[in-house]
Amino acid sequence: MGKIKSAVITAILVAAIVVLTFFATVSYMVPGSNGVKRYNSFISNISLGADLSGEAVAVLYPDGVISAADYKLLTDDEDKLTEYEEKYAPYGSVYVEKDKITEYGEDAFKEMVENDAAVLTKRLGQKGYSRFSVSVQDDFTVKVAVPSNFSYAAYKKYDTTTRTRATSAIEQTLKFMFYSGELTLRNSNAGNPSADNILTPIADDITTYFKSITKYSMAGNYAVKLNLTKAGREIFKSITKKITDAAESDDDDKAIGFYVGDDQLLSLTVSGEIDSSSFFISIENGGEATAQDYAIVLNSVAHGEVLSLDYNTDDFDVVYASPSLGAYAPVFLACAMLVIILAAIIYSIIKYKKLGLVNAIMILIYSLAIIVALTVIGIQFTIAGAVTVSLGLLLLCCSNFALFEEVRKETKKGKTMQSAIKSAYKNLLTGILELHVILLVAAILLALVCVGEIASCGLIFLIATIISYVLYWFTRFMWYVTSSNAKDKFRFGGFTREEYIDD
Amino acid sequence: MTNLKLSSKMHVMIIVSVLIIAIGLAMGLVFQFVMNGYFNYGVEYSSYNSVVVDYATVNFSDGDAVKEICDNEFKNAGVSYYTSSFGESGVGGEFVFKFSTGVDEAKIKTAVTAIQAKLDAGDAASYSNSAYFHAVETNLGGEKTLIYGVIAIASAVVFQFLYFAIRYKLTMAFAALLADVHNLAIFVSLLAITRVPVGATVFTFGVLTVIMTMIGCGFLFDRMRKNFKDEGFAKLDSFEQVDVSASQSVANIAAVSVGIAVAAVVLFVLLAISSMAIELIISPVVMALLCALASIYGTAFFTPAVYSRFKRIGDNFKATHSKKSAKNS
Repeated sequence: MGKIKSAVITAILVAAIVVLTFFATVSYMVPGSNGVKRYNSFISNISLGADLSGEAVAVLYPDGVISAADYKLLTDDEDKLTEYEEKYAPYGSVYVEKDKITEYGEDAFKEMVENDAAVLTKRLGQKGYSRFSVSVQDDFTVKVAVPSNFSYAAYKKYDTTTRTRATSAIEQTLKFMFYSGELTLRNSNAGNPSADNILTPIADDITTYFKSITKYSMAGNYAVKLNLTKAGREIFKSITKKITDAAESDDDDKAIGFYVGDDQLLSLTVSGEIDSSSFFISIENGGEATAQDYAIVLNSVAHGEVLSLDYNTDDFDVVYASPSLGAYAPVFLACAMLVIILAAIIYSIIKYKKLGLVNAIMILIYSLAIIVALTVIGIQFTIAGAVTVSLGLLLLCCSNFALFEEVRKETKKGKTMQSAIKSAYKNLLTGILELHVILLVAAILLALVCVGEIASCGLIFLIATIISYVLYWFTRFMWYVTSSNAKDKFRFGGFTREEYIDD
Repeated sequence: MTNLKLSSKMHVMIIVSVLIIAIGLAMGLVFQFVMNGYFNYGVEYSSYNSVVVDYATVNFSDGDAVKEICDNEFKNAGVSYYTSSFGESGVGGEFVFKFSTGVDEAKIKTAVTAIQAKLDAGDAASYSNSAYFHAVETNLGGEKTLIYGVIAIASAVVFQFLYFAIRYKLTMAFAALLADVHNLAIFVSLLAITRVPVGATVFTFGVLTVIMTMIGCGFLFDRMRKNFKDEGFAKLDSFEQVDVSASQSVANIAAVSVGIAVAAVVLFVLLAISSMAIELIISPVVMALLCALASIYGTAFFTPAVYSRFKRIGDNFKATHSKKSAKNS
């Protein structure tokens, strides 16, 4: 390759890396016609897990239970003091209506709260959170903690729009998860008027109708997919016929309302008899998260996992707590990652001279590619994710170092540099490919089979392995390009050629 | 490089491994009955007591002042929390202090009363300023993570077995399978022996142990295959062949494991500086080291020793089989 061509390619690549690094890492204010707005770098838009951006914590009170703080406030009015003293009994830091205790029995009440917490654990388990917890607090309340899912910009309140979107999504999810009561299908026109307009036979067990209820997305549209059992298919055929037959005018109710307890979750408009093993109900307001919330709650209640108590979901506080590792955990994690990247770059330059710079370029490209992938795909980044990214970096460096050592070995045999590189790549072809294939399959299995944090790590490792293998080959190209100007190609990589004395 | 002579020390390796696993199993079972847990489950998996302190910004413009009041009262009561968090509430802020269930409840409640008194002192009296004690029974969804994690690891191990059986030899595939199971068993036993608090990160390090073993086995068997191309090597006894290859690959195996462990330690040490809470990162750091230790010992020392026997059996079987075929023909 000519010197000019080599210099141009190197300059273009370095310029691209510099520009991308700038946009990936630097946030700044941008003046515009609509005032000054903040540009958030790629890195500050990565969604952070609970260990880096904290948790959203909410305590929900069943009907008949109030907090000690609320009791104190209510009883401040001396006129009401006697009334409340007669109505409530203290249990630790909560006050419980005496009537409720009489109705359920203290132990049975506590057991109901415990069972509800178990149901909520199952429901939240399907949300794919990197980490979450459901606890019973003071025997009578349920405490839920889910990752706040903030990006760094949202966490530091630089990006209030994203923060508000994230907090609204969390509050909506918590509200949905706490829907209590059984699933009923209702229609005011064709349903049983003496039983809340319920369409299905009262003697039937509705849990036998559904195989599963899942979220469905296609081209930006979201829906809930209901998969029916044989009995479910028959009942839907029968009730949709009943609704169609009963509707005499356009004003008549032609929808099947999917109720959980007394709250309507979804509505299916019936235009004719439905005789199918599955059908979809589109979600008009809300995106993927809303469709997922509907699907989780409906699937849960359709399989008999019902909350037995009613919880106050109209007025509950969500506190966005700081991460347990401190408010600066994301900054320190970024510093730690930087230290690891710099250590890898310095080691490779010390050991392989100018060739080490080629490896340094690969390390930078790897880091940028990971940042872009995390931002675009929206994978939740946790400390375990950072360990996984480091593992991918190690894979890239080990592959390149193994290659450089193989080249060193070949040069000692007296080969030319070009021949040594060719032989080294040939010798390592299967070994490096196998290593990446094995790790790629392991990553795919982790990403597909696991849930939560491990699944995120699997996805990150999948991306890291692919990037590592692509960069392993790109190293050869950049080695060729950058060493074109070097007079001594052996010195370029800190190699020495074995000189044979001709007898 | 000097040969490690691992093949002749298979019995020693097996005794060491069996001892570690047996001690781990025994300690785990004893602790299961005596201390309510096979492992020392970390705070993430155990119930806890908490003190929630709310304050209004109109009364306390600086949250640090509230934190200071709480810290002083906890100190006066002679109790210490293992972690605290801060969150913004509608009117101000909320501090949550978590205490392990072993901490004296009465003392915590004394501190709560004292904190409430301080919050109510002077002009600061308000319903928004409160301190309450809560008993929290944790009901984490950990089982699902564990079950799916085990399925994923098992699938990866089976894939590796099949891959090695097709790509290399059946004996190597069996050795890799044994290495995965052995290293995980050693890692789990070390967790039980050292009583490191086991939290959510244990899954990550369990997966890392298997991945490091896979990479290590790849190095070892790839080296074996390459060495077979050398005529001099092919003439060696199977024990010597394994010893030579194991000696050549030990540095690579150790480098991968140590590299991952060092990266994990750097990450967690820097995070400890961030949190100013060393106790929160001791567990993952120790787990990273145990994970590296299990991988290096299992892959670089135990696996070659056992594989040498597998190889000898395989070679003998092959020789007998080929003799019989020759006789028949």
